Amino acid sequence: MPSIKPWAAALAAALLFTDAALAGKGDLEAGRAKAEAVCAPCHGVDGWSKAEGVPNLAGNADLFLQWQLVYFRNGRRKSEIMNPIAAELTDQDINNLGAYFHSLPPIASPQTPDPKPELTDQGKALAAEHRCSNCHGDTFLGVRAAARLANQREDYLAKALSDYRAAKRPSQGVGAMIEASASLSDDDIAAVAHYLSRLPAAP
Amino acid sequence: MRKPNGWASAVCAAALGMGLTLAVGPASALKSYDSSKSSFWKNPPPDWFLGDETEQQKGLAPPAGPATPTSLAELNENLKKIKLPPGFKIEVYASGLPEARQMAWGDKGTLFIGSFGATNVYAVTEKDGKREVKTILKGLTMPTGIAFRDGSLYVVAIDKLLRYDNAEDHLDKLPDPVVVYDDMPSYVAHGWKYLAADKDGKLYIPFGPPFNIGIPPTSVSQIRRVDPKTGLAEIVALGVRNSVGGDVDPRSGDYWFTENARDWISDDLPSDKLNHISRIGEHFGYPYCHQGDLPDPKFNLGHKCSEFTPPVVNLGAHVAPLGMKFYTGDQFPADYKNNILIAEHGSWNRHNYQGGRIVRVSVDPDGKNARHEVFAEGWITGPQDYIGRPDDILLAKDGSILVADDWAGAIYRISYQK
Repeated sequence: MPSIKPWAAALAAALLFTDAALAGKGDLEAGRAKAEAVCAPCHGVDGWSKAEGVPNLAGNADLFLQWQLVYFRNGRRKSEIMNPIAAELTDQDINNLGAYFHSLPPIASPQTPDPKPELTDQGKALAAEHRCSNCHGDTFLGVRAAARLANQREDYLAKALSDYRAAKRPSQGVGAMIEASASLSDDDIAAVAHYLSRLPAAP
Repeated sequence: MRKPNGWASAVCAAALGMGLTLAVGPASALKSYDSSKSSFWKNPPPDWFLGDETEQQKGLAPPAGPATPTSLAELNENLKKIKLPPGFKIEVYASGLPEARQMAWGDKGTLFIGSFGATNVYAVTEKDGKREVKTILKGLTMPTGIAFRDGSLYVVAIDKLLRYDNAEDHLDKLPDPVVVYDDMPSYVAHGWKYLAADKDGKLYIPFGPPFNIGIPPTSVSQIRRVDPKTGLAEIVALGVRNSVGGDVDPRSGDYWFTENARDWISDDLPSDKLNHISRIGEHFGYPYCHQGDLPDPKFNLGHKCSEFTPPVVNLGAHVAPLGMKFYTGDQFPADYKNNILIAEHGSWNRHNYQGGRIVRVSVDPDGKNARHEVFAEGWITGPQDYIGRPDDILLAKDGSILVADDWAGAIYRISYQK
């Protein structure tokens, strides 16, 4: 784990403040109602997915969630399940859902012994080499439009990286994720996904 | 024109930055890239815009805007914060246009608008006093630059200049485009463009380098004038970094353009520029020299700033001047005639954002007697907070101006009444 330096803490505080300001538009109660009606069957009432390949949403970055819904709605991100669901969402729904899932506390996974410590080390080195924390934050909890990665489902992280590598889904920051994942091998993706999925849900 | 103390203050700022680092603790690794090789241009790293990071600027990154366009109610609330000179008024002209960029009028009164990452081109039509926003093109790569000429809509999308004929009569389904010019590199980094037509219908097109700073590929860091009738191009300016705005001077026919200076020197250096091409092939200094008087610390390569054409106006560091227009209307007070209005997009590589406003420059046709002042401001609401980011200006028939805002996904109208 990178140690948290004073400047990083100050930066994180500044970003959190701005996130809160940006997130002010969403209505939590309306978001909860929509989420329970539409999202909960797959993503969990608590934003915690039990299904393979389906991401956890609880505590994810508000702006990240909103951008993904916009991408699903306009078809730039393809999913047979999500495209028709997002097609029905208004801009206000998207604002509300982002605020709601962001507000849910992430659930800490039980601390089990790491079955593959070498893979964790390899993933950590790759994450450093590819500068993942530059956008996602030193603790990988998500910043602005960059997703929370810590404690995300391992199978979903691997799927997301593979999709970015194949340029199957759009990315913020002038294609940042597509470029970041371009040179990853399948083994690299498995390692990074394993490492990130075991990081603590809260710093 | 040139201030000899520019470089000295840069050195001083760097020294201060280092002092700060030592006081805080051991410096964490700063990013450093060799952007001078084609391997970098072809596969830029995700944070290609960073270049050589400095301790002082570390951690700064472009802010992500809202995912959805700002609602009309919120826009009306936001516009109360905008300060204008006496007699001027700002209102929402159209909303719900994600990442709206350059604007152009069709002959029959349709307003066309390009976009940044949204991949769209929009049309705003007006019928019985009601405006309607349509998305008329989807799936283009960075279609920021658009123009309209002789019934045809022109759209530039990184490496292709496309022409859609008889566009206003087919807004529901545009005809397939004709590729009128594609001798352009495919680098997406700083590859988004702006179009400005001269009186003969030739289009000035800027080509930005695919990085922050470095020796650019020979196909970029220049401005070309492209004849869409023949597909032939001339290089009219060299040594240009990222330019996304320009206009033809109604008095002389010369081309003037805005230019975003390099990042990662300091919060206050170097200044962004307003330039004037007075003869074909002039070199504006990039990457060797910035703001007319600041040799680049790494890519100066022994050049003197005096070898290059200096800016007409230094607009300020990290203000990000984009779209600009000469004011040729009759509605504004008489002293606005032939002034340049510039949309400043605002900072990201600066701790306290600046820009995010519209500035006014009055200047003689030969570049002399330049004066510059703020015209409209208030879109920056905190050290690193925007409620909007102006990126283009367009004159309306009645002499008012329209302003595009890609952060809020909106178009504003600014008018004047005595």
